[in-house]
Amino acid sequence: MNLRRSKLNFLIGASLKRKIKTKWFLIAQIVLLVLICAMINLESIIGLFGGDFNKPTKLYIVDETDISADTLTEAIKLNTNNLYGEDNESYDIIISDKTLDETRDIVNEDGGIIINVIPSDDNIIKANLISKTTIDTYDYGIIYNSLNNLKTLLTLDELGITGDDYNKLNKEIEVNREVIDSNATTEEENTEMIVTTVFPIFILPFFVLSIILIQMIGAEVNDEKTTKAMEIIISNVSPTTHFTAKIIAGNLFVIAQAILLVIYAVIALGLHHILGDVTTIHALSDTVVNTIRTVTTGELGDKLIYILPLTLILMFLTFIAYSLVAGILASMTTTTEDFQQVQTPIVIISLLGYYLAMMASMFKGALFIKILAFVPFISAILAPSLLVLGQINIVGIIGSILIMIITILLMMKYGIKIYKAGLLNYSGTGLWKKMFKAIKS
Amino acid sequence: MLKLEHVTKYYGDFKAVDDLSFTVDDGEIFGLLGVNGAGKTTTFRMILNLLEATDGTITLNDEPINYSMSDEIGYLPEERSLLTKLTVYDQAIYFGALKGMTNKEIIARLDELLNKFEVTDYKYKKIKELSKGNQQKIQFIMAILNKPKLLILDEPFSGLDPLNIELFKKEIRELSSQGSMIIFSSHRMDHVELFCKKLVILKQGRAVISGELAKIKADYRKKNIRIRGNVDTKELAKIKYVEEVLSIGDEIMVKITSNKGIEPVFTYISKQSNITKFVVEEPTLDEIFMSVVGES
Repeated sequence: MNLRRSKLNFLIGASLKRKIKTKWFLIAQIVLLVLICAMINLESIIGLFGGDFNKPTKLYIVDETDISADTLTEAIKLNTNNLYGEDNESYDIIISDKTLDETRDIVNEDGGIIINVIPSDDNIIKANLISKTTIDTYDYGIIYNSLNNLKTLLTLDELGITGDDYNKLNKEIEVNREVIDSNATTEEENTEMIVTTVFPIFILPFFVLSIILIQMIGAEVNDEKTTKAMEIIISNVSPTTHFTAKIIAGNLFVIAQAILLVIYAVIALGLHHILGDVTTIHALSDTVVNTIRTVTTGELGDKLIYILPLTLILMFLTFIAYSLVAGILASMTTTTEDFQQVQTPIVIISLLGYYLAMMASMFKGALFIKILAFVPFISAILAPSLLVLGQINIVGIIGSILIMIITILLMMKYGIKIYKAGLLNYSGTGLWKKMFKAIKS
Repeated sequence: MLKLEHVTKYYGDFKAVDDLSFTVDDGEIFGLLGVNGAGKTTTFRMILNLLEATDGTITLNDEPINYSMSDEIGYLPEERSLLTKLTVYDQAIYFGALKGMTNKEIIARLDELLNKFEVTDYKYKKIKELSKGNQQKIQFIMAILNKPKLLILDEPFSGLDPLNIELFKKEIRELSSQGSMIIFSSHRMDHVELFCKKLVILKQGRAVISGELAKIKADYRKKNIRIRGNVDTKELAKIKYVEEVLSIGDEIMVKITSNKGIEPVFTYISKQSNITKFVVEEPTLDEIFMSVVGES
């Protein structure tokens, strides 16, 4: 037993060493670190190279109505703050005391935009926008909205309605919600947002790691089989020991890779903190921080205590199931190309879970999607999503976990028979017949 | 002692090995012969525990073959079976560890064998960078790394030049003298004749000839008679039990189908003139093999 365990340990170590102790692993990790740092600090990198994006755009107001300049200035500031935040310095607003032609000369020389407000008999005001070159879509949108606001304010003023009255008119109605079903979340909007933001943070690494896992186990088994070294290996350790070693090594590698990805993300966020906000660009890191804040606060934050561990357990079990499938399929195939072909459907199954999770928020309470949340492989992504959305409860996700465990046990029982038969099979003819025969034996 | 008793193996309805029995004693080199598909590799795989026999028993020193014995077994498959992306050193560590050896033992033994086979320069080279012959040397080194008690050699001389064949032969003899049981398979009957005292010839999974080589040859009905002198080959061919008469250089070879043919041939020859040679030879293993399996 000790000897068997030491050979198992050796095989696990050898598999990991073969994967890690290569220059390509090191190169891949460096590339990953650089890419993650770059993604999270994209705004700092853009800022580093400079450009006009930080320079405020000059807006010259040439007011021919004599009553619009100040109000328009306020309207532009309000709209800009709504879009870019309070501290932004997107525009330098200048109320021009020069004639239109003189201002035109300035713009022709220094750049900027002239907002020429003209009285109108049939529409209160009208405006000319003059610029040396084309106007940015965002700038145009802000100016257009501000001019419309100006028109409204001028009209209200004519009608004797004060600014306070106008603010009251525009103030949003306070709505208090009460949900009778205690299982349903009162933060529906948040949860839907989570499905579209948090889950890509989980799903994307899960998806990438499952592909790495399938490829690692498949490539190793395939390599040993096609080089016929398998015959020597299997003459020294049982196929069960060999299979177990591959599964453990594959999963250890994936866990290590996941930890490394988290470390890279932490380094990248640390860098972001050191570099600070360089520009006014809405950064990816802000999205991440905001998302984490949304998730960890409020009602959902309390639920995370059980959602997170259950999700991780389900994902880990799915990794084991993927390893079993990869090993079994690799033992059956006779060439690397064959294995690459069969791994495609496995990847698509994983994607299906992702798409169903996205659709779950659109088709609330869909029975079909709920049933699929219990189907192994799909459940890893779908079941936690439905749990977050409140479409299944804790019993539901535990059910998915139990079904996954049963699937793994069945795959271990029958899969090892296929694995044993497949390892020494070098012929593609009658493959499925041979495998079914192996299961029956 | 390795002992196979009434071993049978079915693949579905196909009987690959049929009621095979033989023993290999300590220090013995045993030949397992047969044409392609005769059941040699299946027999090897059953001995190695890679396949389970449908019927019969395989024991090593009176214990049924199992994985706890794998450390004492060495195997050289017919085809190249190395992890070609590894260096010779890494490959030795890998296979050596699977044989329960420590790194220190593996390295010492590897250095000894690399030196013996004159391939010390390849220690840190990737296997895929080596020539076919050198890969075969490395494969042989891997098979004997653990100084196996039972060594299975499937076509060991494949891809080797005569000089390297001699190196292999020397090592095989050395292992045999140290008490290793060696099962040997080759299509080169001259190699088998040189090594094996006992053998089995398989045909469609069945042992058609089995036992000590000397006895097999002695008991074999067909013989060759070599004659030098003035002899009418046409007259020789007419004699009963004479199967074929061949002129080889200045000699004549008479193939007879039974020992009973020796006397009439001798009677005829004694009446001829200028006879300087009359020798009755046992058939070569190649001839026995071809005769038994019906193929060259």
